[in-house]
Formats: sequence, structure tokens, C-alpha cells
Amino acid sequence: MTTPNTAENLFRDIDTVNPVMPYLRQDRIPHIWCPGCGIGTTVNCFTRALTESGMDLDQIVVVSGIGCTGRVAGYLNLDSFHTTHGRAIPFATGLKLANPKLKVVVYSGDGDLAAIGGNHLVHAARRNMDLMVICVNNFTYGMTGGQVAPTTPLGARLSTMPYGNYDPPFNLPFLADACGAAYVARWTVFHVRQLAKSMLEGLRKKGFVFIEALSPCPTLYLRRNKRGEGVDELKYYKQNSIIKHGADTKEVGLTFDGKIVVGKFIDRERPTWLNAMNEHLTQQLGGKYTPYGG
Amino acid sequence: MGDSTTASRPGKGTVFVRSEICKGCSFCVDFCPTDCLSFSTEFNPKGYHFPVLSAPEACTGCDLCGLYCPDFAIYGERWKDIDERKAKGRPQPVPEPAAPAPVKPAWGTLVPTDPRGVLTGLHFMDGDHATCEGAIAAGCRFAAGYPITPSTEVVERFAARIPVVGGLFIQMEDELASSIAVQGAAWGGKKTLSVTSGPGFSLMMEHIGLAAVTETPGVWVNVQRGGPSTGLPTLPGQADMMQAKWGSHGDYEIIALVPNSPQECFDLMIKAFNLSEVYRCPVMFMMDEVVGHMVERVEIPPAERIQVVPRRLTTKPKGEYLPFATTSEDLVPEMTVAGAGHRIHVTGLTHDERGYPAMNAAAQDKMVTRLVRKIRDHADALVDVREHYLDDAEIVVVSYGITSRIAKSAVDDARARGLRVGHLRLRIVWPFPAARIRALCQHAKAFLVPELNMGQVVLEIERVVAGQAKVIGIPHAGGSVHEPDAILKKIIEATQ
Ligand SMILES: Cc1ncc(C[n+]2csc(CCOP(=O)(O)OP(=O)(O)O)c2C)c(N)n1
Ligand code: SF4
Ligand code: SF4
Ligand code: SF4
Ligand SMILES: [Mg+2]
Repeated sequence: MTTPNTAENLFRDIDTVNPVMPYLRQDRIPHIWCPGCGIGTTVNCFTRALTESGMDLDQIVVVSGIGCTGRVAGYLNLDSFHTTHGRAIPFATGLKLANPKLKVVVYSGDGDLAAIGGNHLVHAARRNMDLMVICVNNFTYGMTGGQVAPTTPLGARLSTMPYGNYDPPFNLPFLADACGAAYVARWTVFHVRQLAKSMLEGLRKKGFVFIEALSPCPTLYLRRNKRGEGVDELKYYKQNSIIKHGADTKEVGLTFDGKIVVGKFIDRERPTWLNAMNEHLTQQLGGKYTPYGG
Repeated sequence: MGDSTTASRPGKGTVFVRSEICKGCSFCVDFCPTDCLSFSTEFNPKGYHFPVLSAPEACTGCDLCGLYCPDFAIYGERWKDIDERKAKGRPQPVPEPAAPAPVKPAWGTLVPTDPRGVLTGLHFMDGDHATCEGAIAAGCRFAAGYPITPSTEVVERFAARIPVVGGLFIQMEDELASSIAVQGAAWGGKKTLSVTSGPGFSLMMEHIGLAAVTETPGVWVNVQRGGPSTGLPTLPGQADMMQAKWGSHGDYEIIALVPNSPQECFDLMIKAFNLSEVYRCPVMFMMDEVVGHMVERVEIPPAERIQVVPRRLTTKPKGEYLPFATTSEDLVPEMTVAGAGHRIHVTGLTHDERGYPAMNAAAQDKMVTRLVRKIRDHADALVDVREHYLDDAEIVVVSYGITSRIAKSAVDDARARGLRVGHLRLRIVWPFPAARIRALCQHAKAFLVPELNMGQVVLEIERVVAGQAKVIGIPHAGGSVHEPDAILKKIIEATQ
């Protein structure tokens, strides 16, 4: 019998009680994120969800793409993979299918997941691949210096949209919903408790989970758009968010300075890709087929 | 702060601040529900003001500050919880399970393959199907692909066969996806295969680099067709040979095998899987349309005669395993799988032995040097050639894949005419068997290199021969194969 590697066992040292610390590769802290960047806040929420879940942390794997958010994988003291730009989801797909006992979490940015990785996002949702995707949406490409992203609201200024953005953005919850995701939620980094709760639900959900976390990029997006510091953006989230669970995802598109609908939008049951395969092949092949379990 | 004497406990809770890593973002100060934090007048070493508990009586220990802090620099706790925690004392470390007795790593030895799925017996099948059978016989249990002529039959067969063997095939949304899904699966413990042709090979290049730098084993099949671009979907080419070696950006080394018959598709596939486990590098399986589609006799031996290399899984205890550490004798690190408790980090960034990003010239030099040396230093062990009439050959025809079958018949013909011609067939093209070619320079006046491209492997021969003999390419743009007479004519010319 090995010691289950739950959070409880990690809190053995009474001096490291900051609940996030046992989840971090301490030798890599401080991190590279700018002052007032919201990515670290989402990490707090994720680690609280891990604690709540009581899951064996050895069986949780984080896969990131490339970007500021993509660096999350490197800071978490879990099995973690920092892959290529846009391809975290297909890597995670292979990993999950190779060992279905793992809980595989994709943690990446809006550009990574929705631009270069958009094709993989829609297909993983369509398949209802059993993955939890956390998309930190800061409306821009942070890592490369604040270019327009497929999430950038119309009118916002970015280094490659110097006269304001005219390239229409995705409404990511609608996209994930339309493609068949089993669970879709959006929060902002102001909504830390709700975000942590959604992440917990996501960890427990079977199927494709998509959680969008709106997050400030003060260095690029906010500065260029004269929106103040990170904390000002959190205040903006606080003032302008409307919690609407079960909202029609068609209606939750974002604008530059409008209201932000947040909440748990979708929570549905659909067979996961692997369950569908096993069920179907059992039907078709009968006794010749042993359901695949890894 | 965090003083546990009762006298200093005006509130229900308190906060702990690591002021040195605070970046002064004010999230905690602004979103504390009881407004009990404010900024210090002091600066921390990085020049930021950090929070102080200015209204300790109001602090509830709710830890909302901790939840907000993006820098992990503050957290709050209730005195009640602090007391409980301290009363429990430092808990006894949970005993780690006794370290397993050191076992000889299994990867040092070959073992008979898993008999499931081995179709022992005599078959008539095409090269694509034989490739699939070779992969299954080698222990491959995960394939991902995207349909493209002339390679599709490999995955079609895999999709039909694998459910009853105990594995899985997934048709991904494109080759970018399939070439990385297999890497996820490799870190999940599978031996993996990805299959493509032409444009799909170009799309896979990004992840060949990823596999090289993360030392992820796996076999990539390219059933070569005419290019560039969409080119000749149904007709042969051998013009991806340099792409196989150089196609992804940056410096790295791969291994490339080239079968010339369905039987060899089977046999060399086993070898390809074994090499990818031994060297932990991407192994390219460079077929061509003709070899892929020709039907010939294929003999599949009994499973107990098929020897495979198990993965080099570490036996180190948790906490002691460094995923990219090697010794001076062995340049290939031990591997593990996700979920084994080693808490590995694997990145495509330049990394150190722990797998952590290390973005500097020294780390780059160390990593890249090892990645290339682990193959280059073993180039002699990796020579796999077939030789005919080379003892006294003045003219050496060097070829591979489908072209080698035509070249061989031209060489036989020339020998029948009494010409001192030999044939060297490359079954492993990369790493290049440079030493063998150099040795042949003692007798050889000329090397002839027919290939279904405008001159690729011939360049490597020129480099290796370095002026000691003539090197003559026999290019062919692809779409069909060489006429034996065209090669014979060049042989005759070269003797004059
Ligand atoms: C193939 C490829 N193209 C471009 C890049 C450069 N690049 C790195 S990160 C990034 C965008 C990241 O944006 P996002 O995913 O939103 O992450 P953020 O930095 O905003 O968290 C780009 C374009 C790359 N690494 N690889
Ligand atoms: S550039 Fe923007 S997204 Fe990246 S770390 Fe800085 S604030 Fe965060
Ligand atoms: S623990 Fe709660 S009350 Fe105390 S400072 Fe932090 S946020 Fe405020
Ligand atoms: S939230 Fe963290 S980084 Fe920001 S001011 Fe407070 S302690 Fe400092
Ligand atoms: Mg972004």
C-alpha cells in the first residue's frame, strides 16, 4: 500500500500552510508573471479545487500549451507537460486515452486554445473527450507582447490592431457548448470562490469540461487600452458581472466595456469518447472485445 | 505577523505574508472583505510595497487574500485552525513504502513480445498492411493518424485489428494533432505509431522536434509520395529523406529506416520500435508508395521469436528521479510514465536534468549536445546495410527503398557483363553509415546514387567521400521508378 498523495498528506509540514504551497514547485517560485497578472490567482483556485476533490494528486496531470498561461504546468508540482503552441489538447487526448485512470487537465491561454489550437478544441468538445480545459482569457497574446487574439473584443487596441480591433471575437462558452462540451462555465479572477468551485465540479465531471477564466493582463492589454492596473480590471469585473447560471451561451458574448455574464452555463451528460467506443465495440464485436481500460 | 500569543490576537484570524515575493498588485488589499489590510510604507527588495495587517481586529482568517494573491505571497488563517494545526504538532512523516529491491532494469534485455495480435504464419499482403502488423507485433498499442494516400491502409488495418488486441486507434483532426497525441500516449506508457504521407509529414514536423527534445519514443511512418505540396498523391517519391532528418527546426538527431519490401516493412518495424525505446528518439519509417502498395509474401514468425525492447522505466524511488539526467556512459535518460508519482515536468523549452526550463547558452549546449551525441556516438552500432559484390567493386551503387530493387537488378545485369560493380543498400539511412562508405573508397572509383528525388542522399555521400571517388547522382523526380536500363547505362558510363 502506498501513501495516497492527497493534499492532506502534503500539509504535513506545519510551516508551509499556505494552501497553495504544497502544489507548487517551490524551487521555481517566484514566477515570471507580471504584477497584477491574474494567472496566479487562477492557480490558487485550481489548487483549492484539488484540495477539495480529495483526489490522489499523483493521478492528476496538467498539460499546457505555450504562452504566459502555458507556464502554469511548469509551476505546479504535479506531473506536468508543457507542449507546443496550441497542441495541449491533442497531447492530453493521447495521454488520457493511454491511461484513462488519470485526470488530465489542460491549462492554457485563449490564443493557444482558441486560435492555433481552435481546431483541437472544437474536436475534443465534439468527442466529449474526458478532459478538463481551463482557459485563461486575457483577450490577448500575453507572451508575445499583446497582439490581437480571437477573443479580443471589437474596438480594443492591440499591437497588431493599432487602430482598434475589427476582427470579430469568439464567444468561447458558446463555441464549447455548440461543439458538445459536457460542462461549460465562465468566471473572472474576481470570482475566486466560484471559479474554484467550478474547477472542483470540473475535476469530478466525466467528459469535456471547459472553464473560461477572464483574467487581467495589465502589462499589455490593460495598459494599451488605458484600463488601469490589474486590480482596476478586477473591480471592473466586480461591477459589471452578472451571474446567470444556465444562461443561453449564445447570449454571453463579450464586448470591450459591457456587461460580463458569468456562471455555470452547461452541465450535461453525454457519453465520453472512450465510453462510446467501448460500448459500441462491445455491441459490434461481442465476446471478442474486452473493453479498453488503458 | 502570525504571532500565536493570545495577547496579540485581536481578531479571529491573521495573515502570513512573504513580503519578499509580493509584487504589490493590491488584490489582497482591495478585496479583503473586512478591509483589514493596507500597504507598508517600506519597500521589499524588488521595490514593491507589501500588505500589512493594519486592522488585525477585523481579520477573520478567511484566506480570501490568499485566494486572490497571484504571487502566492499572502494567506490568512483562523486562529482556531492555527491552534489545531500546532497542537497536532509536526505530524510524523508518513512512512514511504519500503524501497523495492533494486531490480536489473528490464530495458537492458530483449524480451519476447506480447503474443496478442501476432499473426504468426505466411501471408500475402502489401507493405502498408505489413507495416501495421509489424507495429502490432512490436507491442504498439496506440496509433493516431489522419487519412492520406498512400499511407491510409496502415491505419485502416490498425483500426480494424487493434480492438481485439487490447489497444486503441484514434483518427485525429489533423496531423498536428495525431503527431502529438501519440506523444501524450507515450507518456501514458504506450508504444505508439503515427502514420502519414506528403503534406501530412510536413504538418508533423513541429512535433518531431518536440519528441526529439522531450526524448519521447515513437515511430512515425511516412509512405512517401511525389511532392512538393499535394504533388502526386498516388505515386511514389523518395524526396522526404532530408526532411526526415532536418524537417523540424533546431538541432537534433533521429533514426530513419527504409524498407524495400512488405517483408521488410514487418521486420524493420520491429527494429524501429526497438530503436526508439533504446535511444528515446523519434524513429522515421520511410516507405514509398510502391513498397506500401506492393503485395508479396510476408512471413510472420511466432511471437516468442520476436524480441522487443521494454521501455527504460526508472526504478528510482519518488523524489530521487531526475527525468533528464544521464551518465557519461549512457546518454539516454531513464523514462517514467505520468501517474507514477515522480511529479515530472516535461517541456519543449530547453531544460535541465529536472526537466525545468533553463534558458541559457550553457543549458542549451548541454542538452543539444547530448541529444545529437546519443545518436551520433552510436552511428556504428546503427549501421544496417545489405551488400552485394562489394569486395572488388570499382563502382558502387548506393540505394534504398523501392529504388534499391531496380538498382540491384541493374547491378546484377552489369556483373553478368563482367563489370566490377557492387551494390550497397541502406536499410538505415539516418544516422548515415559514413564509416562504411569511407571504407569502400579504398576500391571504389565511383559511387552511383539513384533515388526518387533530385539529389538528397547523394549529397551525404559526396560529403563523406570527400573527393576520394566520383559521386554521381541518378535523380528521378518521382511519379514512377527508375528504368533498370537507365541505371545500367550510368554504370557503364562510370566504368569508362
Ligand atoms: C507555432 C508557434 N507560433 C507562435 C508562437 C509564439 N507564441 C508564443 S505564446 C503565443 C500566444 C499566447 O497567447 P495565449 O495563449 O493567449 O497566452 P497568454 O500569453 O496570453 O497567457 C504565441 C503566438 C509559438 N510559440 N509557436
Ligand atoms: S504579459 Fe500579461 S499575461 Fe503575461 S504575465 Fe504579464 S500580465 Fe500576465
Ligand atoms: S484572511 Fe480574510 S479578513 Fe484576513 S486579511 Fe485576508 S482576506 Fe482579510
Ligand atoms: S495580492 Fe499578493 S502580490 Fe498582490 S499585494 Fe497582496 S500580497 Fe502582494
Ligand atoms: Mg491570452
